[in-house]
Amino acid sequence: MSEYVFLNGKRVESPHESHHHISPVIVYVAVFGALLVLTGLTYAVSFANLGPGSLPVAMLVATMKASLVVAFFMHLAYEDRFYLFMFLTSLVLIALFFGFVLFDVNAAGALNDEQAVGMPRLEESLKAAETAPVAAEAEAAAHDAGH
Amino acid sequence: MSSSNASNERPAWVAHHFDTAGQQVSSAKLGMWLFLATEALMFSGLFLAYFLIRKLHPDMVLVASEELNKAYGGVNTVVLIFSSFTMALGVRAAQVGNQKSLERNLMITIACAFIFMGVKYIEYSAKIHHGLLPWNFFDMEKAAHHSSALAAFEYTPMFFGIYFTMTGLHGLHVVIGIGVLTWILIRARRREFTPDNYVAVENVGLYWHIVDLVWIFLFPLLYLVK
Repeated sequence: MSEYVFLNGKRVESPHESHHHISPVIVYVAVFGALLVLTGLTYAVSFANLGPGSLPVAMLVATMKASLVVAFFMHLAYEDRFYLFMFLTSLVLIALFFGFVLFDVNAAGALNDEQAVGMPRLEESLKAAETAPVAAEAEAAAHDAGH
Repeated sequence: MSSSNASNERPAWVAHHFDTAGQQVSSAKLGMWLFLATEALMFSGLFLAYFLIRKLHPDMVLVASEELNKAYGGVNTVVLIFSSFTMALGVRAAQVGNQKSLERNLMITIACAFIFMGVKYIEYSAKIHHGLLPWNFFDMEKAAHHSSALAAFEYTPMFFGIYFTMTGLHGLHVVIGIGVLTWILIRARRREFTPDNYVAVENVGLYWHIVDLVWIFLFPLLYLVK
């Protein structure tokens, strides 16, 4: 063992030093209360008839709830920042995933219209999938008859 | 080093391949957070599928989502939030070495998981009864009899497809949660955890919180579209 001891990349004094953060119970009670209030808000939003605005508002409230859970219940507010970095990295990857797919979906419609291949193609393939078992049977029958 | 011998004594629970207890604990947590990142990525695929369905068929999603029971969904939301709260208290009990509180909070958390699955069972039964099922299992005759508004939309089975896939995968996580929480409860009863050695409790807690986290987004998206 080397002379120096490291914990999460930082030098520490004792080999068994630890950095446990113990939150007071009142913090958990407060977070629980806030989560209940925000759940009520989620309900209220859905009955407020915000129309197209309801989805972003509902997602904003859900994100606030999620942040409370991650920061206090999951202790990310007190942990070594490396765990936060990892968690945020996964969120960045999700944002890339969503961003590029939604960008493609938005752009593909116009491009397909330009080429005269739009949603009809998708509808045809869905129809084909629905009748696929019947078509396969008919094909098999035709195949048998052919021989 | 100036530290006394007593503080440098190697605890029995530190595995041979770790230099220190701190290294073992932070490695366990690192692994857990990596796993949580993969969980978030896995669920993100389903969330994206949901957003695409909602974008392509907004009216259908609005009508179909009205078939979900908001009261049951709301009860389950409160049950999961409460179980997250008791889980956090359980981890705190392990930190301060309160054996009784640790066992009690783990048991309440497990009970909440069973209540959640019970409510889910009632909900799934109603959907199956009304023929509100994914793809080819969707029974338009039964569904139209149940709610005539559904008959106006061709793609209704798609909503129930994403509903059963998302809540099904989430439900599977709750069932696995019951398993790992029971494992931790058994270990707690054997007095395996101390204020220095409780990372297993903490990691199972992290898993349980991510199950809650997914539901926090599922609930407004599936039940409260309007």
